[in-house]
This record gives sequence, C-alpha cells and structure tokens, in this order.
Amino acid sequence: MSLFSNIQIDIDILPKSEDLDLIPISAKYFKIILINICFIYAIFVGILLALYSFADDSGINEVFWYLIGLICTLCIISIVMYYIGFKKRMYAMREKDMTYSHGYLVNKTVTLPYNRIQHIEIARSFLARKLGLSTLKIYSAGQSGGDIAVKGLPKDVADTQYAFLIKIINERS
Amino acid sequence: MSAHNFEIPSRQSAKGIIVIFGVSIFKIFKAMIIIFAALVLKFLQSDKSPDFTSLKVVLPVLGIIVVFLLLAVFRYLNFKFYVKDDYFFLRKGIFNKEEISVSTSKIQNVYIKQNVLQQLINVVSLSIETAGDDKTEIEISALSRPKAEALKSILMLSSRANDVGKNVQVEEVIYFKASIKKLLLEGVSENHFKSFALIFAFIISIYQDLKEFVNQLNLTSRFGSWFELDGESFMALLLFNVTIVVALLISSFFLSMIRMFVQNFNLTVKRKTEGLEISKGLLNKINLSLSASRIQNSTISTNRLKRAFGLYKLAFTQAMANKKQQINFNIVGLGKLQINELLDQFYPDVQKRLLKNKPNKYLMHRLLFTSALVVVLLNAGLYFGPKTLLFINIPLVVYIIANALYAYKKAYYHLDDDYIVVGGGKLIDTSTDFLEIKKVQAVTLNQSIFQKSRGLASVVIFSASKPLTIPHIELSMAFNIKNYLLFKVESENKDWM
Repeated sequence: MSLFSNIQIDIDILPKSEDLDLIPISAKYFKIILINICFIYAIFVGILLALYSFADDSGINEVFWYLIGLICTLCIISIVMYYIGFKKRMYAMREKDMTYSHGYLVNKTVTLPYNRIQHIEIARSFLARKLGLSTLKIYSAGQSGGDIAVKGLPKDVADTQYAFLIKIINERS
Repeated sequence: MSAHNFEIPSRQSAKGIIVIFGVSIFKIFKAMIIIFAALVLKFLQSDKSPDFTSLKVVLPVLGIIVVFLLLAVFRYLNFKFYVKDDYFFLRKGIFNKEEISVSTSKIQNVYIKQNVLQQLINVVSLSIETAGDDKTEIEISALSRPKAEALKSILMLSSRANDVGKNVQVEEVIYFKASIKKLLLEGVSENHFKSFALIFAFIISIYQDLKEFVNQLNLTSRFGSWFELDGESFMALLLFNVTIVVALLISSFFLSMIRMFVQNFNLTVKRKTEGLEISKGLLNKINLSLSASRIQNSTISTNRLKRAFGLYKLAFTQAMANKKQQINFNIVGLGKLQINELLDQFYPDVQKRLLKNKPNKYLMHRLLFTSALVVVLLNAGLYFGPKTLLFINIPLVVYIIANALYAYKKAYYHLDDDYIVVGGGKLIDTSTDFLEIKKVQAVTLNQSIFQKSRGLASVVIFSASKPLTIPHIELSMAFNIKNYLLFKVESENKDWM
C-alpha cells in the first residue's frame, strides 16, 4: 500500500463502496426494454416485407427467408444480452453519495457525491407511465458522463428519492 | 479605469456597424460559397464573358447589401450593455428583444478577440463566458481596446473578489513569448498524420466535383502520358498513387505549419498571482486570462521530435468551455524549465510528491491484441493483392510491438492528498494529466468481462471538463482509490469552481 503512504487517512476505515447493498431496479422495466427491442426489429422486418411484396425481381425473394432468420437471431441475441445486462442494473444511496451500476460486457459503477449535484429531474415516458415507473436523472457539472440516470424505478420510490435529494440540495446552499 | 463609466447603458463603438455588417456578409458568403463556385464554373464553361454591369446582377447585389446594412444599423442601435450592482446587463434584438443579465460572480472568463476586420478598423470584441449553459452567447463586437480592457478588469475583478480577496495588480511582466523559430520548430514536429487525414477527408468529400473539374482541364491526358495509365501496368498505378500520397503528405506538412503559425502567432504569456494571461493569433487575435481556481485539468504533452527540440505543450481545460475555445488554452513551445515553473504555480509541490505507480501489464496485452486484429484484417485484404505487398507486415508488426511496449512503459498514475496525476502515451506521443482532487465530480469503476477474469478494473474520474482514466489496476486498489476520492470530496466539501 505504498500509494497511500503519504496520506494521513487510514484507507481501511474509509466507507467501502464495494460492500454496498445494491438494489435492483423494478423488474417491470424489462417489459419496456423488450417492447423497444421488438419495435426496432419489427421495423426491419416491415421494410423487408415491403420489399418482398413490391419488388419484381427475384433477387430479394431468394434471400428473403435468410434475412428474416438473421433478423430474428439478432433480435433473440439482443434480448438475451439485454436480459443479462438488466440483472446488472442496480443502485444504492448512501448518506453522502449515490451509486448506479449497470452493464454486463463492461460493468460501470458510477458514484456521484451529493455535494456535486447540479440538478435532478424525473422523466416518465409513455410506456413508463403505463407501468408506473420513473427515470431519476442526476446531473453533476461533469461534462462528458459522470451523470446518473436510474431508469425503471417504481414511481413512489423515485418520488421519495427526488424529495430526499431536493432537501439535501436546498440545505447545502 | 474611471475614464469609462459602465453604469449607464451604452452602445458599442459606432464602428460596430461595420463589424456586424462584415460578419453577416461573411457568413452569407460562406454559406453560399458552393452556389458562387457553381456560378463561376458556369460562366467559365459558357463562352461569353459574364456581364457584371447588367441590371440583373447589380440590383439584387445592391439590394442585399442595403438590407444587411440596415439590419446592422438597427442591430447596433438596439444593442446596449451596462454593469450595475455586480450584474452585467445586455439588451439586444430588433424584432425579438432580449435582455440578458449575468452575475459577475458567475462569469467564468472574459475574452478579448480581434479578427481581421476588427484589426483593420482598430477595435476589439469582448465575449463573456458563464458557467451554466453554453448556449447564451454574450459578445460585444466593437470596443476600443482600452475600453474593453477596462470592462474586462471590472468584470473579472468582481468575480475574483469572491474566491481570493487578494489585491491583484502586481507588475505584469511577460513570462513567455514564443519566437518565430520556436513556432517553426513546433510546426515541423507536429503530428502530420492529423492534417493528412484532414486533407484526405476533404478530398474524398469533394471527389466527385473534383473529378468533373479535372476532366474539364484535360489533366488526365497530360498526366496520363507521364504515368502510362493504361490500366495494364500495376507499377505505374502504384507510382501514381505514391505520387499522390507524397503530394498529400507535403501539403499536410505545410498545412500543419501554417495552422500552427496562424493560431499561435505572437504567443505571449503573462504570469500573475492568480493565473495567466495568454494572447496569440494572427488572423484572429485573442486575449484571455486564466485563473487558477477555474482550471479543471491540465495536460502536458510532447512527442519524440518535440522533446528532442525541447518543446512541450501545456493545455488547460476550464469548466464548460466549449471545444472551440479549449484550443486557445494551449501554450505551445514551452521549455522544460517553464513547464516546471508553471506546474509549481498551479499544482504546488506536485513534482516532489510524484510517485509513479504502474498499472497492470494487461494494458500492453490488450493493445497488442487489438492491433493484431487490425493486422489480421489487413492481411485478409492484402491476400488478394500482389505478394510483395505482404512485406508491409514487417514494419507494421515492429511498430505495433514498440507501440505497446512504450504504452506500458509510459503509463503510470499518482495520487496524494491534493492531486491525481496520470501519465500515458505511446511510441511517439507522451502526455501527463493533472487534476486537483477537490475538482472531482463523480467517480466510476469500470470492469469489462476480460478485466473481471483477471481481477482488474479501471477508474474513471470525472471533473467539469474531460474525464481522467486510471486504466487496468487491481480491483482492490481501484476500490481503494474510489473510496478515497469519494471520502475526500464528501468530507472536505471544497468548492470545485
């Protein structure tokens, strides 16, 4: 531990972010992901179908089913990848900072101290409103990244946290 | 300073009409340059010479000029600014009236700029940058230099009084002035591949038009005879391509020279107690002050050739400064000694404390692996060409291995009570980043699945400008660093701006 030799603080007694109990986001949010993925791939299938029915030359007809198969495979692969990644979407709040962890291939765990928050907002898309979910966005002054957007929080949880953070921000100044 | 009263709303210098007019005409011209070029080309193609005296040409041109002149006059009349109670106010707009007010404590920086037109009529423009959003643009386009200096010092003084409270105005000596020789050396030792890519992209983008143009000039018949471009001989084609590449390289060499020269002409740095004052530029003269408390990251960079010449570049980033302005915070042509002195000013004591900790060797392995992928792809393409081309692999592999070795050799990180230092680079370039811990905004721990199996992770540290990455270190160390940084930021609660 030569790195910290110059430092007056005992590194072992610091609050440990690795011991955090991370809370998963609402399982309902996966429905939104699923709908989004299916929607995007449905557009591709739609374009293909349009080509298939309107094009006269047989070129597209020969490869049509292969292309459909390819799209379906890609669709299934992305659903599986998103499902694995979905399990990694977790968050936690401590007394002085907030943590959000996500990503399977590259797992990113952002921690944003409350005293660096610039502003916060709650966003609710059409689908999220139907499912009773909210997205809580927390912005720091960090220009490229360093912001947190917790998608798929149950509405009441998001509202409580929003109120909690607003209180902290107001007390700060 | 009392010669100018900024408390009552005042207009800019009447010369502002000329500047506003000139800038808007220039913008129109720039936007329509393709149409103009097409017109010129059309005239060249047709045999008859253009008749510029015909009413069909004169009237619309005159009309446009009058309209823009009127717009410029009204814009000038409706543009008023004043400073009152630590607030800067600006009223502008002909049809859409706008009133902007900025608290002087929120002003990040004040620039004094001078483009060619402003140099001709001897005025300067003053623009104010605020923290917050980068959309509001506050620029007064024509002021006499003394008035601009006075306004700047009023605005900067009140914004600074909050963070230091020290009385400024120590003697202002020129600390550094880049000589023409230094700038030439800097230009020579630039990374010419960057301008090469720029020219290449430009040529590709206008390729179609260019082809048309070349066809008309019958260049192919002339050059064709030189290189016997009959499609039979491969060597002739190769030679032709090599000539083009060499021509491109030479022009990119000159392009980087010219760019360096135009941007940094007469680069002068003044040292003050609270920061630096930089002025530079040939066509666009710019003058800006940099206060220590506003600096986010600082980067020292050099390459092999530059180091041989003893040239280093020091770049600062500020919160919310947009990309275009960030170029201006660069000081090129500094010597080793000056770099050390400036570092001591902004990061006292950091060089004595510096302790180089190495990241994991995975950094090198990963670079080797990704470059190997590129080589494999390239060879898949070369497979179909003549076999002699496969020899290109030898220098390529040597370069890749050297690159990876040096990437690891140059990589290090350092952390202490106040600072984070990250060193990096590859075979040619070397760079060192400095950041004060109190300026940290958020900390991220990244772990890819490849890192996970090796028990490694990267720490990304966000400040209000660019993020800093400590790559590929032991997971436990990454957690320690993250915990430590968070603890410092949360417990000390220091201001980051």
